[in-house]
Amino acid sequence: MIDLQGYGPRLLEGALVTIELAVLSLILAVILGLLTASAKLSRNRLIHAVGTLYTTLVRGVPDLVLMMLLFYGGQIGINMLTDQLYYAFDIDIFINVNAFVAGVITIGLIFGAYMGETFRGAFQAVEEGQMEAARAYGMSPLLAFRHVRFPLMMRHALPGIGNNWMVLLKTTALVSIIGLTDMVRVAAEATKATHEPFMFMIPVAMVYLLIATLSEWGFAKLTKRYNTGFGESSEWNN
Amino acid sequence: MAATPIPLEAQGIKKRFGDVEVLKGISLQAQKGDVITLIGASGSGKSTFLRCMNLLEQPDEGELIVHNEAINFRATKQGREPADWKQVERIRAKLSMVFQNFNLWSHMTLLENVIEAPVYVLKKPKKQAIDDARALLDRVGLLDRADYYPTQMSGGQQQRGAIARALAMDPEVMLFDEPTSALDPELVGDVLKVMRGLADEGRTMILVTHEIAFARDVSSQVIYLHQGVVEETGAPADVLDNPRSERLRQFLAPKH
Repeated sequence: MIDLQGYGPRLLEGALVTIELAVLSLILAVILGLLTASAKLSRNRLIHAVGTLYTTLVRGVPDLVLMMLLFYGGQIGINMLTDQLYYAFDIDIFINVNAFVAGVITIGLIFGAYMGETFRGAFQAVEEGQMEAARAYGMSPLLAFRHVRFPLMMRHALPGIGNNWMVLLKTTALVSIIGLTDMVRVAAEATKATHEPFMFMIPVAMVYLLIATLSEWGFAKLTKRYNTGFGESSEWNN
Repeated sequence: MAATPIPLEAQGIKKRFGDVEVLKGISLQAQKGDVITLIGASGSGKSTFLRCMNLLEQPDEGELIVHNEAINFRATKQGREPADWKQVERIRAKLSMVFQNFNLWSHMTLLENVIEAPVYVLKKPKKQAIDDARALLDRVGLLDRADYYPTQMSGGQQQRGAIARALAMDPEVMLFDEPTSALDPELVGDVLKVMRGLADEGRTMILVTHEIAFARDVSSQVIYLHQGVVEETGAPADVLDNPRSERLRQFLAPKH
């Protein structure tokens, strides 16, 4: 194992934090993105407005500002709530906003908005006749979504999801600002102590690059899977 | 009371899109084994009427009764909508539709298309569904295409596959929405042959088509729609060979 002046194990832990953070944020972002896309395509004006407000707000405010707003603002909000509980019911609790949870929520919220736009376009790219056939054969809305709209939409959404994922992965480096010890923060501390930036920053860059490369491979596999049934007309055969 | 249930009955169906009233109160009754053909110029409302029957379009007024079960509607601010969507799903599963553009699910093989609704909507055991599907594909001449995706098949094959998908539901009534209109002329014959076979075995069918000769051959009743009203209806020999109205005569006149 590379020792890196004793920082090796901490860097590795930091890398795990980065990966966990990125994966959990991605899951949250995909869920929020699907909901947002549905909201923005809804005929209900209120639901539509909520979706639009969300994407406008998130896409118009810097990630860093949002993260600090959620982290500090969230803590203040929770404190106010617990104070109220204390005064009203004499319940004395203190909830500390966990930096990891705050990080996942913030990054998930930010990328949920971008995913929403990706999914909205992908939803609309699904030929209406495909969903019409699903309805005509008695499928419930949920079954039609799972078996028809979702698999057909993924073909159009995957390039956008892949793109968002790459940006999301790198955005996780921002969490060191709110005190989370990801690998960038460990490397920054080590650099300060040893004055050897390359020794720490190059391995960090390599880890990001490795994750990105693996992801591209994974996305290529997924793309192949969701392209099944399309563009294989070379086998066209009467 | 021992009378057999009527597979499908539509009474006084009205539908408007914005300011245009496309259906102005149309009724139809399909007894078991009936083949009812809707003809008319484009814009006459025939496809809309067919789509009202499985509620792909919501009729603004009128009743729909499928196998003695009336569909419940409730009034909303936007108009009328089904009161119970579960009921609609159940009824749709009894009315298989064959679309003009086939609409086979493009990410599934032909076999997967045919077993999809029987397995996930009717909850038929998968093995049973596969056996049944293969028999149906054999019947429409596509058993060797079971593992092909729709894009790998010609339009005529896709449409015959879509008919197999419809048959797999063992429907009360089959609804055909211009099933040959999107096909190259040389592929129309195979599809019509399959449909003729269904008519001969006593399937209840309601069909929108421009194939007048086919309609004359297989229909028990022909309905001629014009601007959202039934202009003429009756046995094919009466309506198609002895049209009473000038409009229908012109519609039927050979168009070089």
